[in-house]
Amino acid sequence: MEPFFSEKHHAVKRLVRAFCEREIAPIAKDIDAQARFPWEVVDKMGPLGFFGIQVPSSLGGAQMDTVSYAIVVEELSRVCAGLGLAVSVHNSVCVYPLLTFGNDEQRQRLVPPLARGEKIGAFCLTEPNAGSDASAIEATAIDQGDHYLVNANKVFVTNGAVADTCLMFVRTDPAAGRKGISVLVAQRGTPGFITGELEDLSGMRCNPVSSIRLVDCAIPKENLLGRQGMGLAIGLTALDTGRLGIAAQAVGIAQAALEEAVRYANQRRQFGVLIGKHQAVGSMIADMATQVEAARLLVLRASWLKDNGAPFTKESAMAKLFASETASIVADMAVQIHGGYGFSKSYPVERYYRDARVTRIYEGTSEIHRMVIARCVSG
Amino acid sequence: MALNIIVCVKSVVLEAPSAALGSSVERTPRNSVLNPFDRPALALALELAKEEGGLVTTLSMGPPVSCWALCETLALGADRAVLISDKKAAGSDTMATTRVLAKAVNWLGPWDILLFGSRTADSDTGQVGPQASALLNKPFVGMASSIIPKEGIFLVESLTDGFVEQYLANAPFAASVHPNAASVLDCALASIRQAFDSDRVEVLTLADIGMDEAFAGEKGSPTRVISMTPAPKAKKCAFIEGGANEQAQALLEKIRDAGLLF
Ligand SMILES: Cc1cc2nc3c(=O)[nH]c(=O)nc-3n(C[C@H](O)[C@H](O)[C@H](O)COP(=O)(O)OP(=O)(O)OC[C@H]3O[C@@H](n4cnc5c(N)ncnc54)[C@H](O)[C@@H]3O)c2cc1C
Repeated sequence: MEPFFSEKHHAVKRLVRAFCEREIAPIAKDIDAQARFPWEVVDKMGPLGFFGIQVPSSLGGAQMDTVSYAIVVEELSRVCAGLGLAVSVHNSVCVYPLLTFGNDEQRQRLVPPLARGEKIGAFCLTEPNAGSDASAIEATAIDQGDHYLVNANKVFVTNGAVADTCLMFVRTDPAAGRKGISVLVAQRGTPGFITGELEDLSGMRCNPVSSIRLVDCAIPKENLLGRQGMGLAIGLTALDTGRLGIAAQAVGIAQAALEEAVRYANQRRQFGVLIGKHQAVGSMIADMATQVEAARLLVLRASWLKDNGAPFTKESAMAKLFASETASIVADMAVQIHGGYGFSKSYPVERYYRDARVTRIYEGTSEIHRMVIARCVSG
Repeated sequence: MALNIIVCVKSVVLEAPSAALGSSVERTPRNSVLNPFDRPALALALELAKEEGGLVTTLSMGPPVSCWALCETLALGADRAVLISDKKAAGSDTMATTRVLAKAVNWLGPWDILLFGSRTADSDTGQVGPQASALLNKPFVGMASSIIPKEGIFLVESLTDGFVEQYLANAPFAASVHPNAASVLDCALASIRQAFDSDRVEVLTLADIGMDEAFAGEKGSPTRVISMTPAPKAKKCAFIEGGANEQAQALLEKIRDAGLLF
C-alpha cells in the first residue's frame, strides 16, 4: 500500500511513461535545440486524453482525478518539461476555469475541442507592467452592447503561438480596481487577435511561449466567463490548481535529473573508483533522492486533498514552492555530479538545469508563494 | 467474420528470485507487471478483432495479484478478462499450468484463435503455448508475426531462424506471437479509468471451471526445480566514457581492434 496511490494510478504512471519514453524522449533534445513545438507528438497525445485529463467524459475528457493529472504532468516533464508545461497550462488554467466558471452553453461549446486536444488553450494574465501584481493589468474591454471591444498586450503566454482558446484577463470597469477585472475567452482567428514573436527562452524551449495582442478585437458577450468583475477570483482559483501542475512538472524535472546523476555516478570512474562511491557524491545523491521523494509526496497529498473535496490552497502552494526549489537544487547537483560534461549539451542534465529554473517563477514566484503560505499559516 | 480470440497472459515478477531455492518472491502489485512478451500477442488480437470484428478475451492463471495485469489488458482494449486463481493451483509447473489454462479455454466456449506470448520474462520456458495446443488437440504456429484472414482460413506468417514462414491454418488454431509482431499499444487515460474503477475481471477457482485439483498445483506437477544457481557469464561488459564524440571514437577503435572493421 502506498498513500494517495491506487493500482489505477500505478497503471497511469506505467502507461504514460511508456508513451513518453517511446514518443517524446528520443526527440526531447532536438525540440529544445530547435525551439520547436512537436505537433507530431501532440497529435498523438490528444486521443489519449492528455488534454482533457479531468474533463467529464460527457464533454470529451478522460474524467480522471487530480492525482492522475499530477502523474501525467510529472511523467511528461520527466522527459520534456516544455510539453509538461503545455499540458499543465492547458488543463489547469484554461480548461479547469472553463469547467468551473463557464455556463452550460460555454462548457458545451468550448470544452470538447480542448479536451480532445483539437484546440490548445492558454491563460493570458501577465502584461509588461503586471506580473506578480495581477491587479495592475491594463488591458481594457469596453462594453459595446452585444460585445466587448478589447485592447490587450499579454506577454509570456505559454502555448501562445499555437493556442486557439485564450482566457484573457481584462479590465471591464477601470474605476473598480481589483473588482473591475473580468475574464473573456478570446479565440484565435478573431480579427484583431495577433500573436507576437516567440520568446527566446532559456528553458522550456519547445513550448511556443509568445506575446498575444488584441487590437480593437470584438469579443462577443457570450464569451464572458463567470460574471463581470470576477476576474481575479477566477484567476486565483485557476492558479490554485495550476500550482499543482507546475509542482508536478518540477518533480518530473527533478526525477529526471536524479536518474541521470545516478546513471552517471555509476559509470564514471575517478581516482580508481566509480564516482558514486566517493562519499561526497553519494551524499549529494542521497539528498537529491530524499528531496524528490518529499516534493512528490507534497504534490500527491495536495492533489489527494483536492480529489476529496478538502481545502488545498496552502498545500498546493507548499507543493509548488518546495517542488520548484527542489527541481533547481537537484538539477544543479546533477550538473555538479557530471562535472564538465554537465555543462555540455551532450548530456541532458544541462537541459534540466535550464528547465528547472523557471518553475520558481511562473504561476507565482517563490516569494509570492511564501506570502500565500504565510497568510494561510499565520492567518 | 466475427472472431473469438483468447490471449493467455501472465503477471510476471520484476525482481529476480534470490539464489536460495524455495525462497519465493512475495508477489505484490508493486513487483508484478503484465508479461511484456504478452503485449504483442494482445496487440495482434486487438488488431484482428478491430479489422474483422469479434471479441478478445484475456485469460490468466496466477495469484490474486494477477488481477491488475488483467485490468491492464482491459485498459488496452480487451473485451473480457478471466483469472483462474486458486491456492490449489499454487506451485504449478508448466504442465499443470497448461492443463488449467486448457480447461479454462474449453470452459470459455468456442473460440477461433488462441494466442500466447513467445515466452515469459520471469521463467522463459516458452512451453505453455505449444503444450496447450497439444492438450487441446489444435494446430500450433510458433512465433507468428502476422495473421491474415483469407477466405475462411488464415494466412499465418512466422519469423523463425531468420526465415519468414507462411502457413495456412484453419480456425480454431493456436499460435505464439513474435515479440516484434504487432505495433505498440497505447492506452487512453479514460480506458485506464474504466478498467481499473470497475470490477470487470472475472476471478474463478479450479472448481468453477470443473478442473480436477489433482492435476494442478504442486501435487499435479510432473516436474520439480531441484536447484537454481546463477549461470556464469562468459561476456564482460565495459563502459566507454567521455563525450559523445570521444565515445564514438573509442567504440570504433574497439571494433577495429577486434578485427571486425578495417
Ligand atoms: C516561460 C514562462 C511562461 C509563462 N507563462 C505564462 C502564462 O501562460 N500566462 C501568464 O499570464 N503568465 C505567464 N508567465 C509569466 C509569469 O507568471 C510571471 O513572469 C510571474 O508571475 C512573475 O511576474 P514578473 O515576471 O512580472 O516578475 P515581477 O512580478 O516583476 O517580480 C520580480 C521579482 O520581484 C518579486 N516580487 C514581486 N512582488 C513581490 C512582493 N509583493 N513581495 C515580494 N517579492 C515580490 C518577485 O518574486 C520576483 O522575484 C510565464 C513566464 C515564463 C517565464
